[in-house]
Amino acid sequence: MSNNTINRRDFLKVVASTCGGLVLAVYLDACTAQTETSPIITSAAAPSTSTLTPEPSSHVDWKPGIYIKVDHQGLLTVTAFRSEMGQGIRTALAMLVAEELDIDWANVRIEQAPADSTYGDQQTGGSVSVSLYYTGLRRAGAVARQMLIAAAARQWNIAAEKCTTAAGFVIHPDGQEKLAYGDLVDAAAKIDRPNDVKLKETDQFRILGTGIGLWDAPQIVSGKAVYGLDVRLPGMLFAALARCPVFGGEYTSYDDAEAKAIPGVKQVVVLDRTLERSIAVVAENSWAAIRGRDALKVTWDEGSNKTLDSQEMMKIATGRLKKSNESTVLGAIYEMPYEAHATMEPMNCTAYVHDGVCEIWAPTQNPQEVQRSVAGSCRISPGKVTVHVPLMGGGFGRRLQTDYAQEAALVSKAVNAPVQVIWTREDDLQHDFYQPLLVQYACGPLDKPGIPVVSSAGGMGIPTGAWRSVENFPAAYANECYLDELACALKRDPLDLRLEIYSSKYIQGVVKLAAEKAGWGTALPVGQGRGLAYHATFGVTHVCDVAEVEVDAAGNVRVKRIVCAVDCGKVVNLDTVRAQMEGGIAFALTATLKAEATVKNGRIQQSNFYDYSLLRMDEMPVVEVYIVDSDREPSGIGEMGVPPVAPAVANAIFAATGKRVRHIPIRPADLKA
Amino acid sequence: MPSFALNINGRPVDIEAEAQMPLLWVLRDLLALTGTKFSCGAGLCGACTVLIDGMSIRSCITPVSSVTGKAIVTIEGLSPDGSHPLQKAWQEEHVTQCGYCQPGQIMNAVALLKKNPKPTDADIDAAMADVLCRCGTYQRIRKAIHRVAQEA
Repeated sequence: MSNNTINRRDFLKVVASTCGGLVLAVYLDACTAQTETSPIITSAAAPSTSTLTPEPSSHVDWKPGIYIKVDHQGLLTVTAFRSEMGQGIRTALAMLVAEELDIDWANVRIEQAPADSTYGDQQTGGSVSVSLYYTGLRRAGAVARQMLIAAAARQWNIAAEKCTTAAGFVIHPDGQEKLAYGDLVDAAAKIDRPNDVKLKETDQFRILGTGIGLWDAPQIVSGKAVYGLDVRLPGMLFAALARCPVFGGEYTSYDDAEAKAIPGVKQVVVLDRTLERSIAVVAENSWAAIRGRDALKVTWDEGSNKTLDSQEMMKIATGRLKKSNESTVLGAIYEMPYEAHATMEPMNCTAYVHDGVCEIWAPTQNPQEVQRSVAGSCRISPGKVTVHVPLMGGGFGRRLQTDYAQEAALVSKAVNAPVQVIWTREDDLQHDFYQPLLVQYACGPLDKPGIPVVSSAGGMGIPTGAWRSVENFPAAYANECYLDELACALKRDPLDLRLEIYSSKYIQGVVKLAAEKAGWGTALPVGQGRGLAYHATFGVTHVCDVAEVEVDAAGNVRVKRIVCAVDCGKVVNLDTVRAQMEGGIAFALTATLKAEATVKNGRIQQSNFYDYSLLRMDEMPVVEVYIVDSDREPSGIGEMGVPPVAPAVANAIFAATGKRVRHIPIRPADLKA
Repeated sequence: MPSFALNINGRPVDIEAEAQMPLLWVLRDLLALTGTKFSCGAGLCGACTVLIDGMSIRSCITPVSSVTGKAIVTIEGLSPDGSHPLQKAWQEEHVTQCGYCQPGQIMNAVALLKKNPKPTDADIDAAMADVLCRCGTYQRIRKAIHRVAQEA
């Protein structure tokens, strides 16, 4: 099969994934479709090595707690127990420990924890990981530092209080002598854990509050980072599933003759215990699995949802809202469609069910729920399910669901081999848990201008779930579009009116900052306009955006600039705060101007990026992020950039054109001259 | 099954595959070169971008039979240690968020700079607009490309 003269063992390398389990990777000089070794499926206890840093020479690392490990080379390994999907949580958690331990960032490594209740609830959602663990992880670092100091002081036979630390060393009070952490770990392991430690004051920080690139970046840019889809196991198979296009439907019969005729297809498996009864085509490679699935002839019982129609839903929902007819009341209706998550990495999961256990590599925001649900699907106890968490190519809430993990476990169980279930883009867009379709009526008295009372009605029959910022997205849209309409009705400046209504100093801080940096009130050319919107996502992180748009005669909207001011409390990684605001803005612009998931005959009509169109580089505005120097505790940033964008843009479009569009996405047809 | 003589990252590789099998799946599933990513399968997002004789192509819609005898370069072949100027600039500008699209972004940028070593913003937009990033790292990508162009 190969003409390559290199011994295959030379290029078969076992490398660690970022998820802690061993993954067999055949490097670029590989030349064969097959791996030759017997299965080396690992257990959770498998050693994890980094391809970036050499392994320490001594094997007994010091573990002064569940989150950290220091080895004899002085390298700190932080166990990340929340899931990474680009929000920078692995890096942030490690920064908290490294700060208090006083260790150089270059000497920090990160391992990903499997599902393990030792770490508390590992669900990564609600943008709370940093705020929940801001103190706890710093304390873990400070405890370790205190023990290293005690070990050094004992060696020097002096009082610990006189010693200091810097960059991985304990420093003697003479300022000359110092001991490396790596040389102290054996002694530190014999020191009693201190009950009380003093944390650094903010002005002593050297790492926290600085801007650090993501720890995973070197692996990512060299193509070595392991996402869910990159998990490779010896002897693994690949599967694609036929699911009923109508939610809640199931197959009545199928013909797999053509599917089985496709080279590489090995088996067709019926799954009766997933959310929908579906059929898996299992093959030697992804392409054969997808082709095989596409070749299945399935007759579906589409069930009771087969007439669902999102246009109808919108009409019915609007009809259910009680509107005021009073002339003293200002009211307006705002419509939002279903939105898909559209993570760049489609849903996928790799599982190996064997000998009464399940080992699973799940790109998940919710490892413990994967453990529970897979245990249920496989009828084994959760303790028999080991969940590894690779990197995720985006999450945005979609990966809080466990449907794709259950599928992988069930297919693996059925074929008695490691299996990767792969979703195509079409599968991913059409079997999502969508941001809900919602119609909102916002109203309030004109003589007492304030935040409106909002009532809402939604769609039905379509699976919905958390979508980056969840209910904050519609809340900001209704409130902040309404306030703009109110300002217009009262002939007030939208900024002045908000400063009157929003009295909190934190809100005023971001609103004034964004307005000032954006040049609020200065003239813009004809056809351009500025719009402002503020929102506190989950009530904790204050964000104000000022959008500048240009609308041409054909109704094309160009968002030229967005100035964003954010108060997220004390900053952990300055660069991540900026990145999350930029990213939240891009994510929301897709929903504001481009993409929607519509339903007809019970199925989602969009199927790929040609009709679920994401924001592109040439549509990305200049984004300026200003971060308030805040003394509040950290309050989260992953989702907070999203909510103010749609109202800021809608308000800017009104300022540019005089046209009030009360739905998203805003299309050229809504604005054509 | 037919056999194809490929040249991947400077090395000869013989592969047995169906003629129509997209290069993406040859790389990922037959060779475990997983740096090249699957996302749309239809040439719509650029996550699977590799270089064929220096030109960027979408490997998800490129049959393996069409690339025999051509120089195929994937993200893994760009440099042995992540030291290609674009890989370095990507880190210096803190481009990555989830990072899933970034190998494709980088490979597309390599082809851009080869054709146009000093691109303007408009040149970059035109060349890069078909490579999607859901995390919205676009303005950092633009900066990273400018950084490489300026340092060259």
